[in-house]
Amino acid sequence: MKIEFQVNGKAVNVDIAPTARLTALLRDVLDLKGTKVGCDAGDCGACSVIVDGAICCGCLVAVGQLDGAKVTTIEGLGNTAAGARLADAFLRHGAAQCGICTPAMMVSAAVLLDQSARPSRRDVEGALGGVLCRCTGYRKIVDAVLDASADDENSAPALTPQRRAAVGHRLARLDGLAKVNGTEVFGADYVPDGAALVRVVRSPHAHARFTIGDLRAFKGDHSGIEVILTAADIPGHNLHGVIAPFADQPVLAETVARFVGEAIAIIAGAPNCVTGLDLSAFPVTWEPLEPLQSPAAACDDQAPRLHAGRPGNILVEGHVERGDITRGFAEAAHIVEGKFTTPYVEHAYIEPEAGYARRIGERIEVHACTQAPHMDREALALILGVETEAVRVVPSACGGGFGSKIDLTLEPFIALAAWHLDRPAYIVFTRGESMRASTKRHPSEICARVGCDASGRVTAMDFDGVFNTGAYASWGPTVANRVPIHACGPYFIPHYRAHSQAVHTNGPTAGAFRGFGVPQAAIAQESLFHDLAETLGMDQLEFRLTNALDNQQPTVTGQVFAEGVGIKACLEALRPAWRRESAAAREHGHVADGSTTRRGIGIGTCWYGCGNTSLSNPSTIRIGLTATGQIVLHQGATDIGQGSTTVISQIVADALGIGIEALDLVGSDTDLTPDAGKTSASRQTVVSGTAALRAGEALRGMILRQGNAGSDAEITLANGTLSLCEDGIARVIELANLETNPHGYVLEAEETYDPPTTPLDDRGQGQPYSVYGYGAQIAVVSVDMLLGTVKLERLIAAHDVGRAINPLLVEGQIQGGIAQGIGLALMEEYIPGKTENLHDYLIPTFGDVPEIESIIVEVPDPRGPRGAKGLGEHVLIPTAPAILNAIRDATGARIRQVPATPARVRAAIEEAWEND
Amino acid sequence: MQSVQFEAPGTVDEAVALLAGATGDTRILAGGTDLLVQLRAHMINPGLIIDIKKIDETRSLTKNADGSYTIGAAYAGAEATERDDITKDWPGVVEGWDLIGSTQIQGRASLGGNLCNASPAADSVPAMIVAGMTANIAGPKGRRTIPVQDVPVSPGKTSLGKGEFIVSFNLPGRPKGGGDAYLRLIPRTEMDIAVVGCGVALVLDDSGTVTSAKVSLGAVSAKVLVVDAAAKAIIGTKLDDDALAKLDAACQAAAKPINDKRGTIEYRTKIAGVLARRAVKIAAERAGS
Repeated sequence: MKIEFQVNGKAVNVDIAPTARLTALLRDVLDLKGTKVGCDAGDCGACSVIVDGAICCGCLVAVGQLDGAKVTTIEGLGNTAAGARLADAFLRHGAAQCGICTPAMMVSAAVLLDQSARPSRRDVEGALGGVLCRCTGYRKIVDAVLDASADDENSAPALTPQRRAAVGHRLARLDGLAKVNGTEVFGADYVPDGAALVRVVRSPHAHARFTIGDLRAFKGDHSGIEVILTAADIPGHNLHGVIAPFADQPVLAETVARFVGEAIAIIAGAPNCVTGLDLSAFPVTWEPLEPLQSPAAACDDQAPRLHAGRPGNILVEGHVERGDITRGFAEAAHIVEGKFTTPYVEHAYIEPEAGYARRIGERIEVHACTQAPHMDREALALILGVETEAVRVVPSACGGGFGSKIDLTLEPFIALAAWHLDRPAYIVFTRGESMRASTKRHPSEICARVGCDASGRVTAMDFDGVFNTGAYASWGPTVANRVPIHACGPYFIPHYRAHSQAVHTNGPTAGAFRGFGVPQAAIAQESLFHDLAETLGMDQLEFRLTNALDNQQPTVTGQVFAEGVGIKACLEALRPAWRRESAAAREHGHVADGSTTRRGIGIGTCWYGCGNTSLSNPSTIRIGLTATGQIVLHQGATDIGQGSTTVISQIVADALGIGIEALDLVGSDTDLTPDAGKTSASRQTVVSGTAALRAGEALRGMILRQGNAGSDAEITLANGTLSLCEDGIARVIELANLETNPHGYVLEAEETYDPPTTPLDDRGQGQPYSVYGYGAQIAVVSVDMLLGTVKLERLIAAHDVGRAINPLLVEGQIQGGIAQGIGLALMEEYIPGKTENLHDYLIPTFGDVPEIESIIVEVPDPRGPRGAKGLGEHVLIPTAPAILNAIRDATGARIRQVPATPARVRAAIEEAWEND
Repeated sequence: MQSVQFEAPGTVDEAVALLAGATGDTRILAGGTDLLVQLRAHMINPGLIIDIKKIDETRSLTKNADGSYTIGAAYAGAEATERDDITKDWPGVVEGWDLIGSTQIQGRASLGGNLCNASPAADSVPAMIVAGMTANIAGPKGRRTIPVQDVPVSPGKTSLGKGEFIVSFNLPGRPKGGGDAYLRLIPRTEMDIAVVGCGVALVLDDSGTVTSAKVSLGAVSAKVLVVDAAAKAIIGTKLDDDALAKLDAACQAAAKPINDKRGTIEYRTKIAGVLARRAVKIAAERAGS
């Protein structure tokens, strides 16, 4: 059907199927990739565009209805005054993190600003409400829109930091411009000409034996299929795993599928053919086996073993023990205990996995959304049976990761197809495929017991956590090892025993998700601390201060820090808010006042060790100076929206003593950047940041030595020359006379940092991390006692980051982490087969995230760069327990199973009434 | 997949003729917010799609001389929030319409589509039923008008015959002393499917006594329920505690919900009663104003 309409003011004439979606027309035909596709079902809003002045999901617009219409996308918005104001405001407020939702947020905001010159906060939330964001927690997006609507003179321009003052500056993210103008290239946003499309045949069964049928006939029946690959076609090892000793996952299952969505074959060929293939017709015979539904079933003696060498289907057990809990509980005046349950939680990044690969001679290049390019490279080399150097991994912009994009997802499929076909191959997961195939947060069942003496000092804690690690190992060992260390919270507990198990089932593979099991453990620990303080009649804040860990006190692993322990500072920072909100909650009705809502407040806290647990995890950073006076920062830390590119640059600029604008950035690319490790475990600021600091200092030293200058000399780069200024005298350094190294630099510094840790002994004693970060949050809730609905009124968050390298980004992490904590507490539960989309799997929207007051606490840690500690995961941990404790405070009901859905809250309230 | 014939007739008669001539599966397209999802998921594979948005009758909301309204089937319900007349006369009806999807969905979503998708949890439907709305249907045998409540039959199924489609809706004028309300419960603050929905329309006399009432419940049965016993419980009362308790009990007795992740049977049943009490109070306040 021929259709004539306008896009961004230009006439478009196309001949296209009338039922095609507007998004497909924009992206695939007109090459306008600024409009994103997150779900193809109207649930996420990432495809929002303006049609005849109204905002709508482009994925739900049939192009047959567009004749004569005027369409505006993010690409067209940039030419308008409102678009420019929005772009500027989004940058200054840190309203874009990963950036995948940003175009949709901006075009939605533009429609609002067109209709209403001075909208209210509520107006903004309504106008943007159909667009989901998983990174920011929404607050900064609303702030940015309100700012863009304000009078021009109120909009402060972004300030460039002074020399030597980049650290601590609220610098707008350096990679932000592409995110606000729609030019950022995410995994699905570039496909080489002539690339084959890859699709994956997946198991519909949780556990089944299978036999693949006549592939030649299937291929013959479908012209356009160029290759079908199964396990037998993998040139190297059909095995991968993020922790080498536990590698157990086939790229393509061989004879048995162990979870719904497991890949058994890939099909590649002409996109117009492969895209419409009915994969249910793929020749395979399934013989369903009894699936192991839960850890309890998996541990049964009669249960089949999912993997050899793992008796009882137990992957790993973790254990930490200190003192003597029998004695500790004997000393207790009060003891509380409880069993807590948490479900599978989906990462729900808005960008489904996507990317392309191409073969260049005997090398393979993979361009995809990943959090761990160097790990991917090593794994792909083994799978393809080539040397590591033969693999190049170039991360595309990553539209949210939160842990799941550390594991291999699409990379082996596109690499195998491109390798076999010797032409580019690409893949874009559907939303359902992404949700079925990707890792999840571990479901947990935790039994814990805590005792304290009459004065409120905790004497003992006992903790048993069973974590459902699903079909394959992934990061299960990490969760099992990290949890017993952290299950005590940031407290001094003299007698302690914590045990964890990661157990295989035929559920989705559970892997890394912001916090590695610690958020689940914190729900148990902080709930019990609340109940203990309540039993004592002691103020919740004072109870925690009484027990908070301090410098010189041993942690549960026996580690003693001389300085840098910041939990007391966080709790003290909350004291004014705690007093204020306590008074307000009493006023708003712990008493019956005819209203059916009750106000309550609760506290949650966290500590979290930055980097791998008792394992080496080095980062290397390279900085080079060219003969023409350019300073080039090679940093391989993948910025998935959290801001490492900006933070590391700030550290380097100050270490070199140059303006940050003088740095040329070379992003993550295994051919161009040394290994800065994976973006996980809140390690990039601490580990890569330290390597960056040292590299910056080293290069500065080299430069100063060239001019024989003292340590205070000022380095100036201008018009291709480098000069050193000391005591008012400037000297030009002749760079052209220096020899150029193989990297093309006349001077180069490369530094590696690996945080010092020690292994844990059989009682879990040792130094698992060099740096911990700390935090505490207050949640204020109103609960409708009849409906069981929980309304968040406010959150106050105090986080000790040691030194805030970039306070704007710190706030962004706090708000975004809290939003995910809200989801964990109140609505998120992944059920295979039932919630494989974004309308049945609920994540918080604009209206679910209340006002958040961020308090940045800085207790410097000498082991972090400029005193900095990690933050990315910490921020999520206290939120859910704070909310559950606030519900308890408001209603008397103790929720022991998350999410605290209205049905569960109402049932718990009824139970509390019965026991009253 | 076969290629789809796509037509956008300008009149009802043309649309009826196209439908009459069609042999395979035919679908009516208005906003497309459900249809495109079904196409994408290969749930349907129509040979003919008829876009009714070019038919003027389907696009407008008109207040008639007698105080009633005529609303096109392709009218985007959320647009009504900007109309002073209908938001004053039937605030509950408009509240239901405004809850269909986010702003991004509302730019396209149509009332006819929301009804014909035949979800028992559709937010627009309970209030439309209690307001006494009817649907004007065109088809090969001419036009007919049926109550809105008779359109959905079961999840995904309507009573519309082959070749029939909804052209528009009739909404009666607001009776003297009339008030209406729609409440729903969702676990998230927006963009979710109702766990329970409740529509109430009632009329109060000068003394504040309920002279007529209708109560409907969404998401607690295979289709939206009209609960006559609940209406009876409050007719003739001044909405005293006893009457509200009977209303609550009648709604709980009528509710036959399912268990799913959004709510248990027990919970949904109780909430049906709670929402009915609250919706009645809101409707009564509106009736008095």
